[in-house]
Amino acid sequence: MSASVQTLVNQPYKYGFVTDIESETIPRGLSEDVVRMISAKKNEPAFMLEFRLKAYRHWLTMTAPDWPNVHYPAIDYQDIVYYSAPKVQQKKQSLDEVDPTLLETFEKLGIPLSEQKRLGNVAVDAIFDSVSIATTFREKLAKEGVIFCSISEALKDYPDLVEKYIGSVVPIADNYFAALNSAVFSDGSFVYIPKGVHCPMELSTYFRINNGDSGQFERTLIVAEANSHVSYLEGCTAPMFDTNQLHAAVVELVALENAEIKYSTVQNWYAGDENGKGGIYNFVTKRGLCQGKNSKISWTQVETGSAITWKYPSCVLVGDNSVGEFYSVALTNNYQQADTGTKMIHIGKNTRSTIISKGISAGKSNNSYRGLVRMGPKAEGARNYSQCDSMLIGDNAGANTFPYIQVQNNTAKVEHEASTSKIGEDQLFFFAQRGISSEDAISMMISGFCKDVFNQLPMEFALEADRLLSLKLEGSVG
Amino acid sequence: MTIQVSTDLDLQSVDHSAHAVYLSDLCERLDLDQLALGAETAALVQSLRDRASALAQELTLPTTRQEEWRFTDLAPLRQIKFAGSAWRQRVLANPDSEAFKNLILPEAVARLVFVNNCYMPELSAIANLPTGLAISSLAGQGGAIAGYLGQQPGAEEVFTTLNTAHLTEAAVIRVQRHQVIESPVHLLFISSPVPASRLVSPRCLVVAEPSSSLTLVEEYLTLGTGTDLINAVTEIWLQENAQVNHTRIQRHSQTDFHIGKTAVSQARDSRYTCHAVSLGGRISRHNLKVHSTGQQTETTLNGLTVAAGEQLADTHSAIGFSQPHCTSHQLHKCIVSDRARGVFNGKVSVPKAAQLTDASQLNRNLLLSPKARIDTKPQLEIVADNVKCSHGATVSQLEAEEVFYLQSRGLDYQSACNLLVEGFAVEMLEQIPSATLRRTLSQLILSQIRTEPA
Repeated sequence: MSASVQTLVNQPYKYGFVTDIESETIPRGLSEDVVRMISAKKNEPAFMLEFRLKAYRHWLTMTAPDWPNVHYPAIDYQDIVYYSAPKVQQKKQSLDEVDPTLLETFEKLGIPLSEQKRLGNVAVDAIFDSVSIATTFREKLAKEGVIFCSISEALKDYPDLVEKYIGSVVPIADNYFAALNSAVFSDGSFVYIPKGVHCPMELSTYFRINNGDSGQFERTLIVAEANSHVSYLEGCTAPMFDTNQLHAAVVELVALENAEIKYSTVQNWYAGDENGKGGIYNFVTKRGLCQGKNSKISWTQVETGSAITWKYPSCVLVGDNSVGEFYSVALTNNYQQADTGTKMIHIGKNTRSTIISKGISAGKSNNSYRGLVRMGPKAEGARNYSQCDSMLIGDNAGANTFPYIQVQNNTAKVEHEASTSKIGEDQLFFFAQRGISSEDAISMMISGFCKDVFNQLPMEFALEADRLLSLKLEGSVG
Repeated sequence: MTIQVSTDLDLQSVDHSAHAVYLSDLCERLDLDQLALGAETAALVQSLRDRASALAQELTLPTTRQEEWRFTDLAPLRQIKFAGSAWRQRVLANPDSEAFKNLILPEAVARLVFVNNCYMPELSAIANLPTGLAISSLAGQGGAIAGYLGQQPGAEEVFTTLNTAHLTEAAVIRVQRHQVIESPVHLLFISSPVPASRLVSPRCLVVAEPSSSLTLVEEYLTLGTGTDLINAVTEIWLQENAQVNHTRIQRHSQTDFHIGKTAVSQARDSRYTCHAVSLGGRISRHNLKVHSTGQQTETTLNGLTVAAGEQLADTHSAIGFSQPHCTSHQLHKCIVSDRARGVFNGKVSVPKAAQLTDASQLNRNLLLSPKARIDTKPQLEIVADNVKCSHGATVSQLEAEEVFYLQSRGLDYQSACNLLVEGFAVEMLEQIPSATLRRTLSQLILSQIRTEPA
């Protein structure tokens, strides 16, 4: 049985092509001059340069964290290209002016940028290496007052908004990779939902690393004003290289009174080959601040790619009655390593959080859930429910759980449960008795195992996620 | 990006900074007493001590920057200069005194008493032992403890090293092959305070030979209030098909410091049960390490921690499997009130070889006051695929509705709360193999916990 499952999960990575496009890159290495150069290239306001330099100087004093349950060779930060952009960097008035090679690349990835061909009701910001190349549906969104653009444009057009919120959720000195990102981030998305607006369509950013030597450092900032609502999706792929690329992103969410942000990720970076060569190091800091009363932030992630994943999308529940949610499916195969989970910091009264985490480990991979639930002294009546389940496929895979629970309030309630299991012979036999092939049975069981999480994804992504897992199960009868 | 030479990240970091407190600075230099030991035992003890003392020169007091000690700040230990074993003195030698009589368990088949880590033959009762049971202090030993004493994995850990470096006395229990000792053996480690703070290093060695069975009650307590650091180490060896039912009671005064280690090795088909009750100590820590080395071992760990006032009570358990078909069940409960803190870390590691493991773990915490605090981390590390492992943790307080229900039946608030707390604790207590002890503990718990009206 085990062998059939092995073949089921071993599906080739189909996004591994490289787009041959001339790009403008700066020399390898990191120094104060490089930070200044990135800032100058983007014509940033002075406060941004200050922000970057402060972060860079702080980063120099920090050391890389060694507590995650992942192992990788030390990264040479002087060997990374910190800025790489496709040439012909004129401001695009319409999609017609975007390099057709680029459009073709995104077509190939299944992300249609031309609005005529749009699939569903989704606005896309496409980020290629270090820069945003196109953002669709901007006019339609602008009618509602929604700002959706790349963060470089936001720095030019809405510097006050950016200055007010950037670094307010993830401070520059937060951690090693957040500091690095704050110093050298090249682009990312900016979303601002004004008071009382229910964003009319799904917003989406698509990240693509193309250059084999460049790191990707993007920064996403989403601000939801009082009584607003937004659903945001993020997807990512990268070509196959033998070397490892660093992806160190920062995502900041701010939800004010009664606002709701739903953030979904389908992460499918190149994971390295079956011998663990190559792949993306995905070291990401994601944090949401439920600042206002009754606000809600919900993280949903499907993690299938990356050689190493190291991320903990978290919620800081400051506003009374605010709600944090985390739904995650992490699939690791071959030599992939994932140390992922969430942090729920309860500060305000009657705050609630839910954590549902599903880990599937196959091959020689290692999948860790690491979570923190903290009930502060003022979090009267706060509630948390956590569930983290692991499924092991093959006896070389590892599953670990490190749930930290810290409670400083006696009216708070915390529940945590975890289990580890495998697809049992008896379960397969049960299906076989009813005339269902083992392939379909395994597919059904995995899909049932992940259902709690997939149900949370917006429609477009639920399809993609289901396809992602089911493709891995295709054409292999055991 | 080029790749540099890989570095190992898992080394336990040793703090060499200027603030580090070396173990050798923690207490005064050892005075190597002339013990009346047999030549073979003396040589063995001396070599263990020498090795540990050398290691102690290098080791520093753990800080909260180390993951294992993240929630247990040992800073108060730095303020105190502990006297070494010079304070070993005999007090309370009267077996008829009221204070001592209360400590006797009538059910026990044998009793070994140490006061300030000094063996008290006049308080002990080891005459008329059943066949197959050998109990003695270190002085009564031949060379039979070589290969067991100080040989459990993890001997190089900070506080275990400190204990071994100060090894002067030990309780040694050995059950012979095929012998079943049904009534409990009672080990009493009594602290009798003196004006100074001392480092006391009790040690206990248990060897259960193949197919033997032993019930053991290990009890630590203070008569009065002291400010000692009691650093205990217990090593338990279960050979093939042996069974040990171990009860460990820690009820030092609320100003003492207690760091206890229980290291257990289980050979195939052995069954180990631990009932650990921890009530005392300003800072207390119980490191419970179980190494299952054979197939089909069974491990049951029950724990109850009660902390009040300014206490910090920490339990770190680790169960390591290495062979298939083993089971473990763990239930740990904490009751925390006032400004106290409860810490629990339960690790279960299942390597690839340990297929068909069935491991469950549950940690339940009861917070009784707004300033009380709980830090818990149940931790699973699993590499084998055909296993059944689960863990859970809950933190909650007394349900207002439950209290109201009892009040509506005529109980006052305090009695209602006490009844609920008792109900929470009784699950752990009722398995303790001595009715006398169950009663004592139940009273101690209620007097320690003061519930405040909501």
